[in-house]
Parts: sequence; structure tokens; C-alpha cells
Amino acid sequence: MIRSSELDPGFLQEVMAIPGGENLLHCWSCGTCAATCLVRRYDPSFNPRLILRKAGIGMRQEVLSSREIWLCSACDACYPRCPQEIHISEVMRAIRTIAIRDGYAPPGPSAEVDSALCSGCAVCTRACPYGAIDRVPVIVDGLERMIAQVDPNTCMACGICVAACPSGSISLEAVRNEELLTRMSAGGWLAGQSQPEGGKPRILAFVCQWSMRSDAEWAEVEAMQDDSLRVVNLPCSGRVDPALVLLALAEGADGVLVVGCGEGECHYKRGTYLGRGKVALLRSVLEQTGIGMERVRFVELEALQRGALPALIADMAAALGQPARVSG
Amino acid sequence: MVDAARHPKVEILSYSEVERVDGYIGNFLVGVAQKPRYVIADQCTGCGDCARVCPIEIPNAFEMGLAPRKAIDVPHGQAVPLVYTIDMDHCIQCFKCVTACGHRDAIDFSQEAQYSELDVGAIIVATGFESFDPTVIPEYGYGVYPNVITAMELERLDNSAGPTVGRLVRPSDGREPASMAIIQCVGSRDKRYNEYCSGFCCMYAIKNAILMKQMIPSMEISIFYMDIRTPSKGYEEFYNQARKMGIRFIHGRPSQITQDPVTHNLFVEAEDQELGQVLELETDLVVLSAAAIPRADAADVSTKLTLSRSPGGFFMEYHPKLRPVDSPTDGIFLAGAAQGPKDIPASVSQGSAAAARAARVLSSDTWEIEPIIASVDPDVCVSAKGIKCGLCVPACPYGAISCVTGEAAHVTSAKCHGCGGCVAECPHSAISQHHFTDVQIVAQLRELLRDNPEEKILAFMCHWCSSAGADMAGTSHFEYPADSRGIRVMCSARTDQDFVLEAFRRGAGMVLLSGCHPQDCHYITGQQVAAKRFDRLQDQIQRLGISPERFRIEWISAAEGEKYARVITEMSETLKGLDREQILSENRGARDAIERRLRRWKASPQMAELMAVGADELPGGEELDR
Repeated sequence: MIRSSELDPGFLQEVMAIPGGENLLHCWSCGTCAATCLVRRYDPSFNPRLILRKAGIGMRQEVLSSREIWLCSACDACYPRCPQEIHISEVMRAIRTIAIRDGYAPPGPSAEVDSALCSGCAVCTRACPYGAIDRVPVIVDGLERMIAQVDPNTCMACGICVAACPSGSISLEAVRNEELLTRMSAGGWLAGQSQPEGGKPRILAFVCQWSMRSDAEWAEVEAMQDDSLRVVNLPCSGRVDPALVLLALAEGADGVLVVGCGEGECHYKRGTYLGRGKVALLRSVLEQTGIGMERVRFVELEALQRGALPALIADMAAALGQPARVSG
Repeated sequence: MVDAARHPKVEILSYSEVERVDGYIGNFLVGVAQKPRYVIADQCTGCGDCARVCPIEIPNAFEMGLAPRKAIDVPHGQAVPLVYTIDMDHCIQCFKCVTACGHRDAIDFSQEAQYSELDVGAIIVATGFESFDPTVIPEYGYGVYPNVITAMELERLDNSAGPTVGRLVRPSDGREPASMAIIQCVGSRDKRYNEYCSGFCCMYAIKNAILMKQMIPSMEISIFYMDIRTPSKGYEEFYNQARKMGIRFIHGRPSQITQDPVTHNLFVEAEDQELGQVLELETDLVVLSAAAIPRADAADVSTKLTLSRSPGGFFMEYHPKLRPVDSPTDGIFLAGAAQGPKDIPASVSQGSAAAARAARVLSSDTWEIEPIIASVDPDVCVSAKGIKCGLCVPACPYGAISCVTGEAAHVTSAKCHGCGGCVAECPHSAISQHHFTDVQIVAQLRELLRDNPEEKILAFMCHWCSSAGADMAGTSHFEYPADSRGIRVMCSARTDQDFVLEAFRRGAGMVLLSGCHPQDCHYITGQQVAAKRFDRLQDQIQRLGISPERFRIEWISAAEGEKYARVITEMSETLKGLDREQILSENRGARDAIERRLRRWKASPQMAELMAVGADELPGGEELDR
């Protein structure tokens, strides 16, 4: 039971006083945000409506100490659907600001920089959609150097910086290069032989974990996996590292399909845009080197395109036709 | 409708459009254009032989585009009058209809629009509503997924006279649906589209669900809702009946609908709030309860009839509680959903009330109005001298003033409601309001500020709200200092900027301008006119060297006696906190500039006499009149 004596009525004012938090009380709990939010698939306890509701009635301690407040990635899928026009991610941000002020910290993993390898080139600071990376002076081996530093309070663990870092100095739990490679090659898939003429082309699909909405669709796609298809899910299509794509092509894959979210639906603000850009660049490199741009493809899967992925995979397989092996 | 058509005193002008409306209560002149039907009404028997031979098929708007109609047709089977009409946008002039009509000879391709003028005493506006088009909500997929339809489309599909003869089918495959989901509040209660509640959708969704359940008892029916609103007699019982029949009510607003590309089944995603869990419901058919919105031509109608519109776009009533059937223009009444979304019983009630209100007008030979109307002095109005002015026209919320350059502005007395907004707006003092003339107000001002004006708060109050609020403070025995002196005007818009300046010239310590809250104004937009006018004055006062805290604007309603007392108390404290010498010197400093500005008043001998300030009237014994 919630006792009013245990509530903090001032919490509401505190949240509303922070820019972005002022619309908190407009919420009438219709649940549109909760049904839109994709975070719940990986974390069923996450419900933006409930967080707003709890904050609204003053459950200060419970809200600030909960791990859910750190899960919103500010993808703003819910914002355009909210009938009360509440910018929910901004309310979340206001609540987090208070939590940080009170000494709470996000529980999840965040990107880590290996100061021995970091060259301080600042590619990651530009790539990060949240501005969570900054360069700071650090003494390494007696010398002062500028190296990247990740703010764990703002990092959303999308992995975009990991793929962007040219020196391989950034890592993120669960999506390190080695871990991805293990998933790509599990069961000896990568060492497999390209199909002879007339056989099915072997496709490796990097799929953004937010691009498919229903669990049923995921199960269907995962069940499709066989010698001709390997699915590796990523936090974001922006996490795709061109080096991994080339490695896959060199090690037995006939084609690599990168699946991102629809235009404007990216879970990490501009990850889709970065993923698409990388693949476009890679395609022109492959074309120039004579390997052929059809070997790599980027597709967008929009929120309302239910069940479209199998057809997109089949389409790529058809386009690959009779594949030629990458030499070397 | 048939009864109305047969009534000897009712004339139905169908297929016609009101072009213009002139005049006023009891004497409206309405210009009506009757469009050509290309069929002679008296000779058409309504047999339909012409439609049967017509080779052109176009979407039938009455059937929500679910069935075809012919280029010569009637809107629907029960149409009154039952006269066929040729749609010239689609007719190819094959003249098969002429042959089919034969000896009845009713078809006449040479018909032209007929313009007629009607002399009427009262007008009832009952133009209805339109249904919101959900294609603008991408996440619901209306217009993209064939099995997402609107409630209006469902109404046609389950109607025995409809395109499927009352058999409910899915548009994608013509199969009877085994399940149906109804989504409430589509386009209403949604700040992105319409903030208001459409009101009657809850009841028609329940009605449709019960109807479907009776027709197909095995059908799974779910209604997604935010709130179910059943506030009228018998409605809650009807809702309970639906629950008893096994219709599932899901408390949650769907976030999106996706479609199985093969079966065209739909997946509705929503949070079931009772469970706090997200539900994915697979269903055969989705029905959207689309908002009721104002008709597309509401702006055009409001211009022709001088009607104002509420924030949602529906026609505005004179007063939401006391005169819900009258429009702000006397003699024009509102009925049905044109005034706001409403269901059938409420529309019938308002229609009957509007008829009774109109009968009051029609049965009277004379019509009494309040004597406080405005009138123009044609000798002073500059428009009569050929100068382009017309400032009074937009100041009138009722369209009672007409002004043509070369002629003096004219106030139609029957339309004037006596707010006085035009009087204060006229820069040449050419308009005056009976019983609230400049002379009368300035005379009050003079007497109220005769002794020790620097210790007084002069309050201008509108009749309907602030003055009543001051009364409320008195009758409720709320205490406040005795420093205030009030002048009542009908509307805050009657208060001239110059009255405030005159008060300072006479040495007033403080001036308060008060009126209704914006949404409560008795004269529609009077408060807004005043708010704008006195915002401008705030700046001018500062430029004159008068401290800004000495002029205050407050909106006080008739119920806010406590607020009136509080405002006066605060002002009194502010006044006591100011240095007396400073007030005197500020007033002295501003006096010349104010005198210059008020020169025009002195053209009237009465005003000149009133403006003279005797030696005994100003602190420090200064002589003001020069």
C-alpha cells in the first residue's frame, strides 16, 4: 500500500521546475507511450507511463532509485504519438538530472576507453549521438595526452563509438568486436564454403535489435537461420564495423545485409543514418575493387512494416545470384 | 423530413446554398442560390428509370465510398425531396436518361442556377458536423490497411439499406470477420488534432458492438478506450449491457496497428492499463471511432452570418450556460452538432429549443433591446468627409457597424449589444454609447477624484464580471481598504485609454482596469480588445514618467470577490509604499503631455467644462486649467 505520508509532494514541483519536466501532469495515463516503447522487449519492467505516474504522485525515493529511469534512450518514438504532446524523454531527462544530483548512477554498462590505445582523435566525440564523450587531459606514461572519456550518466550503450573508433580503443560489454565475431562464426558458420553454382548464397544479416517490433517476428527470423543465413543482432545498425563486414565476406559469406530502423525511427537518434552511410561507402569501395557492390546492402525496416524482413533477405539472395568468392 | 416537406408552412430548398445574409433580427434578407438539378422537380416522379440506364458509376459519398452511384441519382433512398439530380462533373451527356424518362419529360439540360432572396425573421443554423479523416494518423494505417475502417463506414456496412444489405464483411477479402477491435478517441482528445472530446463516440461504439454481437454472436469484440463516458439517462445501463454480452473493454490507447502481409489480419498494440502490460491483439477488423469535426465550410458560414467560432471550430453560442441556443447575433439560433459535437437526443432538444426561440421572434411585431446602444454622430465621423478610417468596424464583435468611405459609419441598432467597444476605439469621439457617454464617465471620474486624489485607487470595472466581483466582495464581507473608487462600464472594451490618462491628470494615485477573464467575456471579444489596448497603454504610461505599478490590469470574474478584495488590498499597500511627493511630481511631469493628448475632448463645451480643474481640487493648490 502507498501511504500519502510516505510520499513527497514536492517531488512533482522539483521535476516540473527542470526544463522539459513541466508537462508531467498533462499525462492522463493512456499507455500509448508504454505500448510504443521498444525498451520493454528487452526489459519488460520498463514502462514510461508508470514512471510519469509515480513521479506525479510523489514517489520520490522509488523513482530516483529505480533502474528503469536510465533505460529511455530518447528515441522519441512515443513523443509524436502522445495525445497530450508530452515530450516523455525530456521528462525522463529531468528526473535523471535530479537522480544524478542526489548521487544515483545508471546501472547499465557504458562504453569504456582504453587510455593506452586512445589517440585522442575525437572521431568518437563526433559520432556519439548523445554527446556523452569528451576529451580530457590525462597523464599516460608521464606524458599529458588528450584522451576520450565517456560520461556513464549519458552513455546509452548504442555501440556507435565502438564501431567509429579507428584505433579500437573503445569497447562495450556484450558488443565487443571479439564477442560479435564469436556470434558471427558460431558453429563454424564463417568457415563454411560458399555454395557452388546454383546453390543458395550465404547471407550474414546484422539486424538492429529495435528494427523489428514484435517478438513473434524475431522468433520467425531466428528460426530461419541455417547454413545460408546467419543473423547477428546489434544494439544499432550504427554499431556495424566495416572491418567485420569485410572479414565476413572474406571468410565465406556471399553477402552481408545490414538492417536498421526506418527513417526518423532510430532508437539512438541518428544511428540508422550512420549505419546507412557506412554501408554506402563500403559499397562504393567494393565496386571500385571489382568485388561488386551487391555483396553488401543496407535496408530500413519501418515500424509498421510487419513481417517484411524474410522478403528483404530473399530479395538480397536473389540479387546475389551466382556469387563470386572474394579473393584473399 | 417527409412531414416537414408536406407541411404547408415549410419550404425545403435542397441543393441550394446561402450566398449572403443581410439585415438584422426580424428583417433578414437571405440570398439563396439554387443549383441546377437538370431535372424538373415537378415532373420527376422519383421512379429511378434514368439512374438504371445511366452508364456512369462514381463513388457514393452517402455510402462512404463503399458503393457506386450513378451520374444521375438521389443521395439515398429516403431522400426528400425524391428528385433525381445530374452530377455534371461526371455526366458524359449520352442522354440515355432523357430517353428513359420518356413522356414524363423531366430532364432539362438547359437549367441554370436560380438566385432568390428570402425575407425572414429568424435563422436557425443546423449545418451539422463532419467526420475526422484518420489518414493523417500514420500509426493506425487507415487508408493503407484495407481492414481498418471508420465507424461511419461500419454504420453503412451494418445497415440493411447499405451496400452489403446489412452483412458485415472485411474489405480485404469479403469474408465475415470473426473478431473486431474498436478504437476510441481517434482524432479527438488528442492535442495533435482536436483537444475536445467528441462526446457521442463512446455510445455509438457500444451500440455498434452490441449490434454486431447480436448479428454475429461468436464475434470477439474488443473496445480500446481511455475513458468511457456515459453521462446521460440510460447510457450507463447500456454500457453494462454490452459488458454482460461479452464485449471486452480494454483500458488503453493503442500505439500502433500493424498488418500481416498475407492474411491482412491486424495487430493492435496497446498497454492494458489494468495489467500494466502491453497487449498485442490480433483481429480481423479494426474500427476507428473518428472525431466529430466542424464542417469544412464553417469559416465561410461564420463570415456570412457573423457567427463566431469556439476554439475547436464549432459555432459559438451566446453564453455556454444561460443562452446555449442563441448565437451572438440576435435572431440567429444554433441547433445540433454545428454548435458542438452532440448525440441525437441532445441535437433534437437543441433543435426544438431553437425553433421555440425563433418562434419568439416571429410572433412579435416589435423587438425590445437594451437602451445602451451606440450611435454615430455623422457630423464628426471622418469617414463622411472621405477619409479612410473604419476603426470601429473590427471593434464590434457583432458586425453591427458598417463603414463606407464617403459616408458616416452606421450602427445597426438591432444588432448592437451595447458593449461600447467601438466608442473607445473611435479616435475622433464620433461614436457615443447611450448612458455611458464620455461626458457621463468623465463627470464621475471628476467627482470621485475631487478630494485627495493621490490617495485614491480609481477602478474601472466591467458590468458583468468585475463589478459583480466587487459586489461579491461586499456581500461576502471580505474586508479591503476604503481607498478605491469604482466606475462601472458595460465592458472593459468601453474604457478609453484617455480615461486612465485623465485620472492621472487629475492626480489619481492608482488606476485599476478590470474585466472578465478572456473566456468569460459577455461581449465575445471585448476583453481581448481591452487587453490589447491597455497593454499598449502600459508602455505609454512609462514613457510619461509614471511608475508602472500605479496602473494595474486584472481580470476578475463575478465569483472572485476574494480576488477583488485582494487586488485592492495589494494596490493600497503599494500606494502607501510610494512616496507622496513622488506621485505628485510624476503627475505634474506627465500633465502637459496628457493635456496635449486630450485636446480633442475640449472641442465639446461640456467636456471642456468637465476637464477644468479648480484650484481646490489638486494637492498643492496648483492651477491646472490654462
